[in-house]
Amino acid sequence: MTESHSTTAAVPHDEHVGHATGGKVAMWLFIAQDGFSFGGLLLAYALLRTWSHDWPNPQHILGIKFTAVGTFDLICSSLTMVMAVAAAQRADRKALVGWLTATILGGLFFLGMQAYEYTHLVREGIGFTQGTWEGHPINPLFGTTFFVVTGFHGCHVTAGVIYLTFILFGAMKGKYTQGGLSYSPVELVGLFWHFVDLVWILVFTFIYLL
Amino acid sequence: MSKKNQAHGQAPATAHAPDPHAPAAHAKPHGPSTSTFITIWLTLGVLTLIEIFVPQVYSAPWNHNTKILLLIFLASAKAILVAAYFMHLKWETRWVRWIALMPAYMALFAILLMCEEYFRPLL
Repeated sequence: MTESHSTTAAVPHDEHVGHATGGKVAMWLFIAQDGFSFGGLLLAYALLRTWSHDWPNPQHILGIKFTAVGTFDLICSSLTMVMAVAAAQRADRKALVGWLTATILGGLFFLGMQAYEYTHLVREGIGFTQGTWEGHPINPLFGTTFFVVTGFHGCHVTAGVIYLTFILFGAMKGKYTQGGLSYSPVELVGLFWHFVDLVWILVFTFIYLL
Repeated sequence: MSKKNQAHGQAPATAHAPDPHAPAAHAKPHGPSTSTFITIWLTLGVLTLIEIFVPQVYSAPWNHNTKILLLIFLASAKAILVAAYFMHLKWETRWVRWIALMPAYMALFAILLMCEEYFRPLL
């Protein structure tokens, strides 16, 4: 019997959500409401930017290529995350621990890049409620929206790294590689982590590129 | 999204029958293979690379709208790839997809905003 058949037997088929576990539906609901939070922040940013006639060009202030590296790092960590879920599904503890560790390192690398970026911007004069660039005052809302949106995302990455670390400890004990539905917590943390990646794709476009 | 996934709930659960078209086939382990994951990862990398150069290529005021539409298209494509493949949404039922899609309605407000920004100078 394969892993998949024991899974489908363990979760009765539901008319609406198929074989999705209760945990998975709950995580999707959480992700949906979290998506509204990010959507609200991005809309507020778009409104403030549209109403301002002196919005600086983000390309001149923010490091696009530097942040693109961070973006690709999150994409790589999404790949390692799906590999972790696949490892848990085939009950391969060693691979699961390896892929989870790689995902955590990817998250920490992103946070390190963000800390470096924040430090650089603050030193250059971009603050939370005020901003100067190369000695000239700029629209203070640029810094406000930048730090609120990227900071809110950074909090999610931090929460994701902590969540992944707890899952890693469980994985090292073999909790998620016992067959059946034991892999489910890894799948749930994976959904959250991919959501963090997905949101960054949008934040990177709206805050940095546009 | 494949049509076969939308047929959930129409046939009895067949956990014991390894029929790839049965609802049981929608369970998580029947998701994409490793090669699919790597293809998606590479595609996301290439799209990110394209994104970096779009603002440089379309930097003139007369192609400002092209730049915006192109960047939004690229970001949407990347987001859909992550949701469909990495988050396994392609293999979930229509209900789960609708839950996931709920925040996307906020894009309507973004479209309204862009329409006003575009048409207001013409009034």
